[in-house]
Amino acid sequence: MITTHQLANGLSVIVEEMSHVESASYDLLIPGGLVCDPSDKVGAGLILGELIGRGAGSLSSRQLSEAFDDLGIRHGEGVGSDRYVFSGSLVSDSLPRALELVSFMVREPHLKEDEIPNIQSVLLQDIDSLNDNPARRSMVELSKRYYPAPYNRPSLGAADGIRGTDRSTVHQLWKQLFSPRKAILSIAGNVRTSEVLKTVESLFGDWSGEEVQVPSFGAMPRNEYFHIESDSSQMQIVLASPSVRFNQEGYYDGKLAVSILGASMFGRLFVEVREKRGLCYSVYARHGSTTEYGTVTAYVGTTPERAQESLDVLLKELHGLKGTVTEDELDRARTNLKASLIMGEESPGARAGSNAQDWWLLKRVRPLSEINAAIDKVTVSSVDAFLGAHPFKPCSILTLGKHALTVPTGLTGEG
Amino acid sequence: MAIKVHREVLSNGLTILAESNPANVSAGIGFFVRTGARDESSRESGVSHFLEHMMFKGTPTRSALDINLELGNLGAQANAFTSEENTVYYAMVIPEKFKAMQELLSDMMRPALDPEEFTMEKKVILEEIALYRDRPHFYLFENAFKDYFGDHPAGNSVLGSDESISAVTRDEMKVYFDRRYSPSNIVLAASGNFSVDEFLKDARSLCGGWVNFEVERDVSRHQSKSVYKEFRRKNLSHSHAVLLAQGASAQDEERYALSLLSNILGDSSGSKMYWELVDKGLADSASFDSDERDGTGCVMVYVSTSPSKLDEVVKIAKGIVSRPMDFSDDDLERAKAKIVSRIVLDGELPMGRLMSLGLEWNYRRTTTPLSETISKIRSVSRADIERALEKFPIKDWSEYRLLPE
Repeated sequence: MITTHQLANGLSVIVEEMSHVESASYDLLIPGGLVCDPSDKVGAGLILGELIGRGAGSLSSRQLSEAFDDLGIRHGEGVGSDRYVFSGSLVSDSLPRALELVSFMVREPHLKEDEIPNIQSVLLQDIDSLNDNPARRSMVELSKRYYPAPYNRPSLGAADGIRGTDRSTVHQLWKQLFSPRKAILSIAGNVRTSEVLKTVESLFGDWSGEEVQVPSFGAMPRNEYFHIESDSSQMQIVLASPSVRFNQEGYYDGKLAVSILGASMFGRLFVEVREKRGLCYSVYARHGSTTEYGTVTAYVGTTPERAQESLDVLLKELHGLKGTVTEDELDRARTNLKASLIMGEESPGARAGSNAQDWWLLKRVRPLSEINAAIDKVTVSSVDAFLGAHPFKPCSILTLGKHALTVPTGLTGEG
Repeated sequence: MAIKVHREVLSNGLTILAESNPANVSAGIGFFVRTGARDESSRESGVSHFLEHMMFKGTPTRSALDINLELGNLGAQANAFTSEENTVYYAMVIPEKFKAMQELLSDMMRPALDPEEFTMEKKVILEEIALYRDRPHFYLFENAFKDYFGDHPAGNSVLGSDESISAVTRDEMKVYFDRRYSPSNIVLAASGNFSVDEFLKDARSLCGGWVNFEVERDVSRHQSKSVYKEFRRKNLSHSHAVLLAQGASAQDEERYALSLLSNILGDSSGSKMYWELVDKGLADSASFDSDERDGTGCVMVYVSTSPSKLDEVVKIAKGIVSRPMDFSDDDLERAKAKIVSRIVLDGELPMGRLMSLGLEWNYRRTTTPLSETISKIRSVSRADIERALEKFPIKDWSEYRLLPE
């Protein structure tokens, strides 16, 4: 049973009772994230996200960490592009204490100045170590170039932004962003809704703050080719193309089309690039959407001498989808999407996350039957219509490796 | 919530474990083969993992494409992995698809090893080796284990090398299969929402005809040693260090005490390593783990930091492990709470239970209810950890560093 509630201060609370589990999970989403960092201090939000866990309420950094560990609460505090996220999984008896600790972090962080250099040091090391993971680096580099500002900010922050952040920047960010107005607290698991609400009201009821303005998404980009020279064993090839937004007409057409193309094992890219030609170990395409934008990303990692062929096959499959999708392929993609939704029902962590996400995007939680009905509505011809409107081109391509590749005409090269 | 584990051993030696829970909305099924890199000769290096790929590439009645498409049709979340000592094939499905999944996975366990598919998949494996060559910490781990275990096969490389994979033939792979994939060396396990009776009945008819033969493994303990080695690589942004010493095996009772100690000293958060190294901004990663293997085992310290800080970071990490009993009763209780909670949370999902059922059988020929594992962890005292340290004193480290050229 899922119920939704709103506190007087604006905090949305979603509770899903799951009787067949012993655990519970929570997700607290607060609008903000890296897009709200000052433009010359990109990464300040990462420092804030880390600093919040280093002492809050009546607890020192170590006491706060120990308080989570005493109850074996598996928790994480993170910063996304447009939000701060606090999540945790625990044996359900510990939920009130876990939420109390979260309320300390959100509402009364110490934000101690002397912790900042240590955090900066680790964050700068993270940026450095990106070079040692070329696949991840290629995605970060593409996002930087593909998305419009400020949504192109790197998820690890910018080195000079991190170095330039001081206590007052962090404090200002916290004051400005940490507000219940549009925040969402989602809880799922072996809990009783009435008890959860009582706990939430007592911990968050008198939390106040202004509504946060998260920047809106600018015009969609760009149609370019970028190459980054690197002496690695494999070439990384990534591309991005605009697609349908979440909840826009054709959303599930797009999702299923990209699954037909890029799913592991049965997707066309896996079969054509890996299985039939042995060109790579890793190849995929994914569909990601928010209410602001939709993107198809595709990836293949391969050794330099086979990179051109890999890219050519990738583009051929990407552009050859329209008019060739079969009923069998659509059924397979549909079955997989539905099965993954059903299997996701099982875990409190997945439920809390997906309920929060629904609320974030739609201001309501969709029942599984509604999602299934939308998936069932997709036909071969509706997928084709989608591909007519979103032909996965133009697109931006980025390669990282020993040499640049020949890309189709119409892409501006940066080289 | 105590759920019964059904066990049956077929006359050909295949062990079947079934733990059904109708409250689940999915079911997991897997074949756990007690074989991996440590069971390879040097000529065969990487063949266990290569074979794992080939199991998806066709059977006498299915082509590779048939298998891929069928997995898709079943909506299965299917995969496989190979380690030094296990090769595991598994899938999660919704309950209606369980029977068909069992049939498919059982068929895949008798691969065709088609020569053309073999040639094609070899290219994929070489790409996978190239992928990991670009991940420096992986390179260090592989070389450190190889050197530390020396002649003992526990340090064998899972992926193999360009040379060994290029050289291996389809017939050599078949010889390996015929030596290792005996039903008596395999566990079939299932967990989640499925009918135990049906599962057992189908297992008998699908797997009962597999021919049994003797399988051996060297489970002696390795000779620990104490060496210092540096590896150098170009264009390295980060430096890494791995320290290895003798530890408990997967069969040693001391493993409970050592796993608690490793949580206290080196868990990813709230541990001594965390507070001394990560919290202070000295290292971006610092851990201490107990790596329990079949008949042998080691403990491992791993740190990653910028090259200029590596000396200092290694010194501090060594200081922490040189005073292993330097913790409070609260630290011990907290470590217990963390481990118990992980076991409970993982055990709630069919995939978590499936993995612990199959792997535990491969290592210890038993199944332990969650409640018993939890009470064993809760009962560990300081004195138990002291006793474990008498047997495994976690000193005389071998140290391996990866530095920029």
